[in-house]
Amino acid sequence: MHGIGLETLIAYWLGELPAAEEEPLEEHLFACASCSARLEELAALAAGIRATVREGRVAAVISVPFLEALKRQGLRIREYRVAPGGRIDCTLRADEDAVVSRMQAPLAGVKRVDALRRMEVGGKVVFESRIDDVPFDPAAGEVLHLPSAAWVRGLPANTLRVRLVAVDEAGERALGEYTFAHTPG
Amino acid sequence: MAAESGIGALDDAALARRVAAAGGRVDSQAESELYRRLARRVRLYGLRHLRDAHAAADLVQQVLLTTLERLRAGEVREPEKIASFVLGMCRMTVLEIRRGTWRREALLEKWAPASAGVTYGEAGTTYGGAEMTYEAPEPLVLDRERLTGCLGALAERERSVVLLSFFADKAADEVGAELGLTPGNVRVIRHRALGRLRECMELA
Repeated sequence: MHGIGLETLIAYWLGELPAAEEEPLEEHLFACASCSARLEELAALAAGIRATVREGRVAAVISVPFLEALKRQGLRIREYRVAPGGRIDCTLRADEDAVVSRMQAPLAGVKRVDALRRMEVGGKVVFESRIDDVPFDPAAGEVLHLPSAAWVRGLPANTLRVRLVAVDEAGERALGEYTFAHTPG
Repeated sequence: MAAESGIGALDDAALARRVAAAGGRVDSQAESELYRRLARRVRLYGLRHLRDAHAAADLVQQVLLTTLERLRAGEVREPEKIASFVLGMCRMTVLEIRRGTWRREALLEKWAPASAGVTYGEAGTTYGGAEMTYEAPEPLVLDRERLTGCLGALAERERSVVLLSFFADKAADEVGAELGLTPGNVRVIRHRALGRLRECMELA
Protein backbone atom coordinates (compact mmCIF):
# COMPACT_ATOMS: atom_id res chain seq x y z
CA MET A 1 0.00 0.00 0.00
CA HIS A 2 1.79 3.14 -1.19
CA GLY A 3 0.68 6.76 -1.38
CA ILE A 4 -2.72 6.59 0.30
CA GLY A 5 -5.10 8.93 -1.55
CA LEU A 6 -6.72 11.96 0.03
CA GLU A 7 -10.24 10.50 -0.25
CA THR A 8 -9.15 7.36 1.61
CA LEU A 9 -7.49 9.44 4.34
CA ILE A 10 -10.66 11.56 4.67
CA ALA A 11 -12.84 8.44 4.84
CA TYR A 12 -10.54 6.96 7.48
CA TRP A 13 -10.55 10.15 9.54
CA LEU A 14 -14.36 10.33 9.47
CA GLY A 15 -14.82 6.65 10.35
CA GLU A 16 -16.34 5.67 7.01
CA LEU A 17 -14.13 2.68 6.24
CA PRO A 18 -15.18 -0.86 7.13
CA ALA A 19 -12.92 -2.60 9.69
CA ALA A 20 -11.51 -4.86 6.99
CA GLU A 21 -10.10 -1.81 5.20
CA GLU A 22 -9.31 0.27 8.26
CA GLU A 23 -7.00 -2.23 9.95
CA PRO A 24 -4.45 -2.67 7.14
CA LEU A 25 -4.60 1.07 6.50
CA GLU A 26 -3.61 1.74 10.11
CA GLU A 27 -0.78 -0.79 9.84
CA HIS A 28 0.49 1.18 6.85
CA LEU A 29 0.06 4.57 8.54
CA PHE A 30 2.11 3.39 11.52
CA ALA A 31 4.93 2.20 9.29
CA CYS A 32 4.92 4.99 6.67
CA ALA A 33 6.19 8.41 7.79
CA SER A 34 5.05 10.25 4.65
CA CYS A 35 1.47 8.90 4.79
CA SER A 36 1.20 9.68 8.50
CA ALA A 37 2.49 13.21 7.73
CA ARG A 38 -0.36 13.63 5.21
CA LEU A 39 -2.83 12.40 7.80
CA GLU A 40 -1.37 14.90 10.27
CA GLU A 41 -2.09 17.69 7.78
CA LEU A 42 -5.68 16.51 7.53
CA ALA A 43 -5.93 16.39 11.34
CA ALA A 44 -4.51 19.92 11.51
CA LEU A 45 -7.08 21.12 8.97
CA ALA A 46 -9.88 19.51 10.99
CA ALA A 47 -8.59 21.09 14.22
CA GLY A 48 -8.25 24.46 12.48
CA ILE A 49 -11.79 24.24 11.09
CA ARG A 50 -13.18 23.46 14.55
CA ALA A 51 -11.26 26.40 16.02
CA THR A 52 -12.39 28.88 13.36
CA VAL A 53 -16.03 27.88 13.93
CA ARG A 54 -15.72 28.13 17.72
CA GLU A 55 -14.04 31.53 17.39
CA GLY A 56 -16.90 32.83 15.22
CA ARG A 57 -14.71 33.44 12.17
CA VAL A 58 -16.73 31.50 9.60
CA ALA A 59 -20.05 32.19 7.91
CA ALA A 60 -22.04 29.28 6.51
CA VAL A 61 -25.44 27.90 5.71
CA ILE A 62 -25.89 25.14 8.28
CA SER A 63 -28.29 22.35 9.20
CA VAL A 64 -30.40 21.92 12.32
CA PRO A 65 -28.19 19.03 13.59
CA PHE A 66 -25.13 21.25 13.08
CA LEU A 67 -26.78 23.95 15.17
CA GLU A 68 -27.41 21.34 17.88
CA ALA A 69 -23.73 20.27 17.66
CA LEU A 70 -22.65 23.88 18.23
CA LYS A 71 -24.83 24.04 21.35
CA ARG A 72 -23.53 20.69 22.63
CA GLN A 73 -20.03 22.05 22.40
CA GLY A 74 -21.02 24.83 24.76
CA LEU A 75 -21.43 27.71 22.32
CA ARG A 76 -24.07 30.24 23.33
CA ILE A 77 -26.27 30.80 20.31
CA ARG A 78 -28.92 33.45 19.72
CA GLU A 79 -31.55 32.26 17.25
CA TYR A 80 -34.04 34.23 15.21
CA ARG A 81 -36.89 32.41 13.46
CA VAL A 82 -38.41 34.46 10.70
CA ALA A 83 -41.44 33.62 8.54
CA PRO A 84 -41.59 34.70 4.88
CA GLY A 85 -42.30 38.44 4.77
CA GLY A 86 -41.24 38.76 8.39
CA ARG A 87 -39.11 41.46 10.01
CA ILE A 88 -37.20 41.03 13.22
CA ASP A 89 -35.02 43.21 15.47
CA CYS A 90 -31.77 41.43 16.14
CA THR A 91 -28.42 41.75 17.87
CA LEU A 92 -25.49 39.72 19.18
CA ARG A 93 -24.60 40.38 22.80
CA ALA A 94 -21.06 40.30 24.15
CA ASP A 95 -21.76 37.17 26.21
CA GLU A 96 -23.01 35.23 23.17
CA ASP A 97 -20.83 33.31 20.73
CA ALA A 98 -22.97 33.30 17.60
CA VAL A 99 -26.28 34.22 16.04
CA VAL A 100 -28.28 32.03 13.66
CA SER A 101 -31.12 33.17 11.43
CA ARG A 102 -33.73 30.49 10.72
CA MET A 103 -35.65 31.51 7.62
CA GLN A 104 -38.83 29.49 7.22
CA ALA A 105 -39.60 28.61 3.59
CA PRO A 106 -41.73 26.17 1.57
CA LEU A 107 -38.89 23.95 0.35
CA ALA A 108 -40.76 20.77 -0.64
CA GLY A 109 -40.01 19.95 -4.25
CA VAL A 110 -37.43 22.73 -4.55
CA LYS A 111 -34.28 21.76 -6.44
CA ARG A 112 -32.04 24.75 -5.84
CA VAL A 113 -32.18 27.79 -3.60
CA ASP A 114 -30.27 31.04 -4.10
CA ALA A 115 -30.07 33.77 -1.45
CA LEU A 116 -30.01 37.45 -2.44
CA ARG A 117 -28.81 39.79 0.30
CA ARG A 118 -28.86 43.56 0.56
CA MET A 119 -27.65 45.57 3.55
CA GLU A 120 -28.51 49.21 4.19
CA VAL A 121 -26.91 51.54 6.71
CA GLY A 122 -28.67 54.85 7.27
CA GLY A 123 -30.76 54.34 4.14
CA LYS A 124 -27.73 53.68 1.90
CA VAL A 125 -27.02 50.30 0.37
CA VAL A 126 -23.59 49.15 1.62
CA PHE A 127 -23.54 45.75 0.01
CA GLU A 128 -25.52 43.43 -2.20
CA SER A 129 -24.65 39.83 -2.86
CA ARG A 130 -26.11 36.66 -4.26
CA ILE A 131 -25.23 33.27 -2.83
CA ASP A 132 -25.87 30.60 -5.43
CA ASP A 133 -27.03 27.11 -4.61
CA VAL A 134 -27.27 27.26 -0.83
CA PRO A 135 -27.48 23.84 0.80
CA PHE A 136 -30.79 22.97 2.45
CA ASP A 137 -32.77 20.02 3.75
CA PRO A 138 -36.10 20.02 1.81
CA ALA A 139 -37.84 18.36 4.76
CA ALA A 140 -36.63 20.95 7.28
CA GLY A 141 -38.73 23.79 5.87
CA GLU A 142 -36.12 26.38 6.76
CA VAL A 143 -32.73 27.70 5.72
CA LEU A 144 -30.31 28.36 8.57
CA HIS A 145 -27.56 30.94 8.19
CA LEU A 146 -24.67 31.34 10.60
CA PRO A 147 -22.87 34.63 9.91
CA SER A 148 -19.35 35.17 11.20
CA ALA A 149 -19.76 36.49 14.75
CA ALA A 150 -16.60 38.56 14.33
CA TRP A 151 -18.18 40.23 11.28
CA VAL A 152 -21.52 40.82 13.04
CA ARG A 153 -19.78 42.43 16.03
CA GLY A 154 -18.13 44.95 13.73
CA LEU A 155 -21.37 46.03 12.06
CA PRO A 156 -23.11 49.35 12.73
CA ALA A 157 -26.90 49.47 13.05
CA ASN A 158 -28.19 48.20 9.71
CA THR A 159 -31.04 46.56 7.88
CA LEU A 160 -30.33 43.31 6.06
CA ARG A 161 -32.88 41.99 3.59
CA VAL A 162 -32.57 38.40 2.44
CA ARG A 163 -34.62 37.02 -0.43
CA LEU A 164 -34.68 33.28 -0.96
CA VAL A 165 -35.54 32.15 -4.47
CA ALA A 166 -36.17 28.70 -5.89
CA VAL A 167 -34.33 28.09 -9.15
CA ASP A 168 -35.24 25.49 -11.74
CA GLU A 169 -35.55 25.04 -15.51
CA ALA A 170 -38.59 27.36 -15.57
CA GLY A 171 -36.67 30.21 -13.94
CA GLU A 172 -36.87 31.73 -10.47
CA ARG A 173 -39.69 32.14 -7.98
CA ALA A 174 -39.58 33.85 -4.61
CA LEU A 175 -39.75 31.63 -1.51
CA GLY A 176 -39.72 34.49 0.96
CA GLU A 177 -38.17 37.79 1.95
CA TYR A 178 -36.81 38.35 5.44
CA THR A 179 -35.74 41.59 7.10
CA PHE A 180 -33.21 41.75 9.94
CA ALA A 181 -32.94 45.11 11.72
CA HIS A 182 -29.61 44.85 13.52
CA THR A 183 -28.41 46.95 16.42
CA PRO A 184 -24.93 46.40 17.89
CA GLY A 185 -24.96 44.34 21.12
CA MET B 1 25.43 16.81 16.00
CA ALA B 2 27.02 13.95 14.08
CA ALA B 3 25.62 11.50 16.61
CA GLU B 4 22.15 13.06 16.27
CA SER B 5 22.18 12.89 12.50
CA GLY B 6 23.39 9.31 12.83
CA ILE B 7 20.51 8.34 15.06
CA GLY B 8 18.10 10.17 12.76
CA ALA B 9 19.24 8.03 9.85
CA LEU B 10 18.25 4.80 11.59
CA ASP B 11 14.87 3.29 10.80
CA ASP B 12 12.30 2.46 13.50
CA ALA B 13 13.37 -1.18 13.65
CA ALA B 14 17.05 -0.33 14.14
CA LEU B 15 16.15 2.08 16.93
CA ALA B 16 13.99 -0.55 18.63
CA ARG B 17 16.82 -3.09 18.40
CA ARG B 18 19.23 -0.59 19.98
CA VAL B 19 16.84 0.05 22.88
CA ALA B 20 16.37 -3.69 23.38
CA ALA B 21 20.11 -4.41 23.11
CA ALA B 22 21.08 -1.92 25.80
CA GLY B 23 20.52 -4.58 28.42
CA GLY B 24 20.48 -3.12 31.91
CA ARG B 25 21.55 0.27 30.59
CA VAL B 26 19.48 2.95 28.88
CA ASP B 27 20.22 4.03 25.32
CA SER B 28 18.72 7.47 25.86
CA GLN B 29 19.46 8.69 22.32
CA ALA B 30 17.69 5.76 20.70
CA GLU B 31 14.79 5.92 23.17
CA SER B 32 14.26 9.67 22.66
CA GLU B 33 14.33 9.36 18.89
CA LEU B 34 11.95 6.38 18.88
CA TYR B 35 9.58 8.20 21.25
CA ARG B 36 9.65 11.36 19.13
CA ARG B 37 8.88 9.47 15.91
CA LEU B 38 6.16 7.23 17.23
CA ALA B 39 4.49 9.93 19.34
CA ARG B 40 3.19 11.63 16.18
CA ARG B 41 1.56 8.43 14.91
CA VAL B 42 0.10 7.45 18.30
CA ARG B 43 -1.34 10.93 18.76
CA LEU B 44 -3.05 10.72 15.35
CA TYR B 45 -4.48 7.31 16.26
CA GLY B 46 -5.74 8.80 19.53
CA LEU B 47 -7.31 11.80 17.82
CA ARG B 48 -9.00 9.56 15.26
CA HIS B 49 -10.46 7.15 17.78
CA LEU B 50 -10.91 9.30 20.90
CA ARG B 51 -11.60 12.71 19.29
CA ASP B 52 -9.96 14.52 22.16
CA ALA B 53 -6.50 16.13 22.21
CA HIS B 54 -5.89 15.51 25.92
CA ALA B 55 -6.99 11.88 25.70
CA ALA B 56 -4.68 11.48 22.69
CA ALA B 57 -1.77 12.97 24.69
CA ASP B 58 -2.48 10.51 27.52
CA LEU B 59 -2.51 7.67 25.00
CA VAL B 60 0.91 8.72 23.70
CA GLN B 61 2.39 8.57 27.20
CA GLN B 62 0.71 5.31 28.18
CA VAL B 63 1.58 3.45 25.01
CA LEU B 64 5.12 4.71 24.44
CA LEU B 65 6.40 4.57 28.00
CA THR B 66 5.08 1.02 28.26
CA THR B 67 6.62 0.14 24.90
CA LEU B 68 10.06 1.40 25.97
CA GLU B 69 9.74 -0.50 29.25
CA ARG B 70 8.91 -3.72 27.38
CA LEU B 71 11.74 -3.21 24.89
CA ARG B 72 14.27 -2.74 27.68
CA ALA B 73 12.95 -5.82 29.46
CA GLY B 74 13.30 -7.89 26.30
CA GLU B 75 9.56 -8.49 26.21
CA VAL B 76 9.09 -7.38 22.59
CA ARG B 77 9.74 -10.54 20.62
CA GLU B 78 10.26 -8.86 17.25
CA PRO B 79 11.71 -5.36 17.75
CA GLU B 80 11.89 -4.99 13.96
CA LYS B 81 8.06 -4.95 13.98
CA ILE B 82 7.93 -2.16 16.53
CA ALA B 83 5.33 -0.15 14.55
CA SER B 84 2.91 -3.09 14.62
CA PHE B 85 3.58 -3.63 18.31
CA VAL B 86 2.79 0.02 19.09
CA LEU B 87 -0.37 -0.09 16.96
CA GLY B 88 -1.49 -3.17 18.89
CA MET B 89 -0.88 -1.35 22.17
CA CYS B 90 -2.90 1.61 20.88
CA ARG B 91 -5.84 -0.61 19.92
CA MET B 92 -5.81 -2.40 23.27
CA THR B 93 -5.61 0.84 25.26
CA VAL B 94 -8.39 2.54 23.28
CA LEU B 95 -10.58 -0.55 23.83
CA GLU B 96 -9.90 -0.29 27.57
CA ILE B 97 -10.77 3.40 27.49
CA ARG B 98 -14.04 2.67 25.69
CA ARG B 99 -14.91 -0.12 28.11
CA GLY B 100 -14.23 2.23 30.98
CA THR B 101 -11.54 -0.07 32.41
CA TRP B 102 -8.67 2.36 31.76
CA ARG B 103 -7.94 4.87 34.46
CA ARG B 104 -5.97 8.05 33.84
CA GLU B 105 -5.06 7.98 37.52
CA ALA B 106 -3.27 4.67 36.98
CA LEU B 107 -1.12 6.32 34.30
CA LEU B 108 -0.29 9.18 36.66
CA GLU B 109 0.45 6.81 39.55
CA LYS B 110 2.74 4.70 37.41
CA TRP B 111 4.75 7.50 35.83
CA ALA B 112 4.26 10.26 38.40
CA PRO B 113 7.76 10.27 40.02
CA ALA B 114 9.44 11.66 36.95
CA SER B 115 6.52 13.03 34.97
CA ALA B 116 5.44 15.52 37.64
CA GLY B 117 6.10 18.96 36.27
CA VAL B 118 6.72 17.95 32.67
CA THR B 119 4.90 19.90 30.00
CA TYR B 120 2.02 18.77 27.80
CA GLY B 121 4.17 17.33 25.03
CA GLU B 122 6.60 15.54 27.31
CA ALA B 123 6.62 12.33 29.29
CA GLY B 124 8.93 11.17 32.01
CA THR B 125 9.97 7.91 33.59
CA THR B 126 12.70 6.47 35.76
CA TYR B 127 14.79 3.43 34.95
CA GLY B 128 17.71 2.06 36.89
CA GLY B 129 17.64 5.16 39.07
CA ALA B 130 17.95 7.49 36.06
CA GLU B 131 15.23 10.04 35.33
CA MET B 132 14.39 10.44 31.67
CA THR B 133 12.17 12.87 29.84
CA TYR B 134 10.87 12.23 26.35
CA GLU B 135 9.57 14.93 24.10
CA ALA B 136 6.75 14.52 21.59
CA PRO B 137 6.84 16.86 18.58
CA GLU B 138 4.39 19.75 18.74
CA PRO B 139 1.21 19.09 16.74
CA LEU B 140 0.98 20.84 13.39
CA VAL B 141 -1.08 24.03 13.87
CA LEU B 142 -2.29 25.99 10.86
CA ASP B 143 -2.47 29.77 10.56
CA ARG B 144 -6.05 30.55 11.60
CA GLU B 145 -6.32 33.88 9.76
CA ARG B 146 -5.27 32.24 6.55
CA LEU B 147 -7.58 29.27 7.08
CA THR B 148 -10.48 31.67 7.69
CA GLY B 149 -9.77 33.29 4.32
CA CYS B 150 -9.48 29.91 2.60
CA LEU B 151 -12.78 28.72 4.08
CA GLY B 152 -14.41 31.96 2.99
CA ALA B 153 -13.23 31.39 -0.57
CA LEU B 154 -15.07 28.06 -0.85
CA ALA B 155 -18.45 27.83 -2.54
CA GLU B 156 -21.35 27.92 -0.06
CA ARG B 157 -22.17 24.25 -0.52
CA GLU B 158 -18.50 23.24 -0.17
CA ARG B 159 -18.15 25.21 3.05
CA SER B 160 -21.29 23.66 4.54
CA VAL B 161 -20.09 20.16 3.70
CA VAL B 162 -16.63 20.86 5.14
CA LEU B 163 -18.04 22.27 8.39
CA LEU B 164 -20.49 19.43 8.86
CA SER B 165 -17.77 16.88 8.14
CA PHE B 166 -14.94 18.28 10.23
CA PHE B 167 -16.60 20.33 12.95
CA ALA B 168 -19.29 17.78 13.71
CA ASP B 169 -17.24 14.69 12.60
CA LYS B 170 -20.04 13.44 10.37
CA ALA B 171 -19.71 10.77 7.71
CA ALA B 172 -20.89 11.37 4.12
CA ASP B 173 -24.26 9.67 4.60
CA GLU B 174 -25.10 11.85 7.63
CA VAL B 175 -24.00 15.06 5.89
CA GLY B 176 -26.02 14.07 2.84
CA ALA B 177 -29.15 13.47 4.91
CA GLU B 178 -28.83 16.93 6.46
CA LEU B 179 -28.23 18.80 3.22
CA GLY B 180 -30.42 16.88 0.81
CA LEU B 181 -27.46 15.31 -1.03
CA THR B 182 -26.48 11.74 -1.83
CA PRO B 183 -23.43 10.35 0.05
CA GLY B 184 -21.64 10.16 -3.31
CA ASN B 185 -22.28 13.86 -3.94
CA VAL B 186 -21.00 14.69 -0.47
CA ARG B 187 -17.77 12.77 -1.13
CA VAL B 188 -17.20 14.58 -4.41
CA ILE B 189 -17.87 18.02 -2.86
CA ARG B 190 -15.78 17.16 0.21
CA HIS B 191 -12.83 15.93 -1.83
CA ARG B 192 -12.89 19.03 -4.05
CA ALA B 193 -13.22 21.39 -1.07
CA LEU B 194 -10.39 19.71 0.85
CA GLY B 195 -8.21 19.89 -2.24
CA ARG B 196 -8.89 23.62 -2.49
CA LEU B 197 -8.21 24.17 1.19
CA ARG B 198 -4.93 22.26 1.01
CA GLU B 199 -3.87 24.27 -2.02
CA CYS B 200 -4.91 27.56 -0.43
CA MET B 201 -3.02 26.64 2.76
CA GLU B 202 -0.05 25.49 0.66
CA LEU B 203 0.01 22.06 2.25
CA ALA B 204 2.11 19.42 0.52
